[in-house]
Amino acid sequence: MSKSIFELVDELPTDNITIRTLRALDFVVPGQWENVVGFTNTIRHVTGETDEDLIQQIGERAIYLYNDKSQGYQRALWLYQTVDRADSALGAAALANKVGDKIPLVGGLLNRVTPKPNKAQAIDLCLKLVVELVAFCQINGIPGDSIGDFVASLGEYSGESLMRMAALVCIDGLIPLGPDFILEAQSRLAQTTPSDLEQNSTFQGVNSLIPGGSTPGKLNFIGQSFDSVKGWMSNFVADRGLTPEKVVSNMQQFVEISNDKLDYLAAFLDMTTNYYEHTGTQTLARRLIERAAAEI
Amino acid sequence: MIFPRLHRILAPLLLAGLLFVTSCSTQAPSRWDQAQQESTQKPAQTTRTQDRAGAPTGKAVGGGEFNKFFPSASGGYERVYTQEKQGFAEAKLKKGGKEVAVMSISDTANNPSAAQKFQQSSQKIGGYPAVSQGSNGTAVLVANRYQVKVQSRDASFTQSDREAWLQRFNLQGLARTR
Repeated sequence: MSKSIFELVDELPTDNITIRTLRALDFVVPGQWENVVGFTNTIRHVTGETDEDLIQQIGERAIYLYNDKSQGYQRALWLYQTVDRADSALGAAALANKVGDKIPLVGGLLNRVTPKPNKAQAIDLCLKLVVELVAFCQINGIPGDSIGDFVASLGEYSGESLMRMAALVCIDGLIPLGPDFILEAQSRLAQTTPSDLEQNSTFQGVNSLIPGGSTPGKLNFIGQSFDSVKGWMSNFVADRGLTPEKVVSNMQQFVEISNDKLDYLAAFLDMTTNYYEHTGTQTLARRLIERAAAEI
Repeated sequence: MIFPRLHRILAPLLLAGLLFVTSCSTQAPSRWDQAQQESTQKPAQTTRTQDRAGAPTGKAVGGGEFNKFFPSASGGYERVYTQEKQGFAEAKLKKGGKEVAVMSISDTANNPSAAQKFQQSSQKIGGYPAVSQGSNGTAVLVANRYQVKVQSRDASFTQSDREAWLQRFNLQGLARTR
């Protein structure tokens, strides 16, 4: 039996590697992300209301909306969860090995981390983008594959949604693929065949909700989506003067890793964080609560 | 001596401990349990219209139909549409790049109980029954069906701002929507 929305939001963690990673990325989008957890707490935070009867009405309506499968909210959450599986045992082991405030990514811990080949990394970056697009449409409406409307809405991204995109650019783009990650991802994608895509484990997970019909159709959709968003990503990086070095030096607040092992850092973060699921749950809760508060 | 007495309390003590542990392993009741149960027992249908007897009469109006009735932005404000679902449309109101309010139109066919609060209302805005909700919301009910609401998201956006913006909706146009 899948979890209720209030349990999911109540159970959002307050401290783990995902949280530490996102905090280390605050410099990219200063003050945008507060780790708001707890269902009732989120209602208060979003609406500013304190009347308990009103909060109860809002929460109940949000629960009804989430449980109505036809609304699409469960599909959005499933996408965020599926594209971003984390190895919690590895994360727990890493935190247990902390020396002071830092996790030394050496020795036994390093041996458990396997860097991903650039092609797989590029596909994962593109898939996460597509998931964001589809989840956005499931949550907020507009036709399911309206790339143009989604790109227009990126300019309005704030809070946990903006942090998710910042983390995507840094953790799935700059660190593993370097400063030219956009060109690198585009060129890798151009070399990807439908068969390559079908063998990608992340694609296998989210395949059923990617628009495009057949695998070649889906590959085409992924390519178009990436193409449409690359301008936004490029501006995002340029406006902030973002480089892999800047991101890594902020990550080094809590992970001890040498600069020649960036692919291990990328893999470690990939394996131990679930920032899409975490911030995606927060985005979903916010939108549900906004709608519920309007409808009661 | 202590030991015979200890012997006599040990079994009840262990039993109490066991009961305590097993009761802690089930989840504490939550204020949300009833809503969760009711909305999962039968397929939750949140976007069908119902007549007073509760029988379905058709679908709620598509959210896209509502967009044209929202006030246009002026006087330093910016309007950004944010959600559009069956029977619901929402837009943010921004000033100087900051979100100050949220505006919405919802079809109470989706949620009939939402219309009830207007029955006792003596206030009118734009000629339609109006209510205040909580500390941040003001709403009107148009044609006994469409709830138009403005909620403050910043302290600078007051109740009188909410009432003013409610009047800027095309409420009469909305009243004609089916």
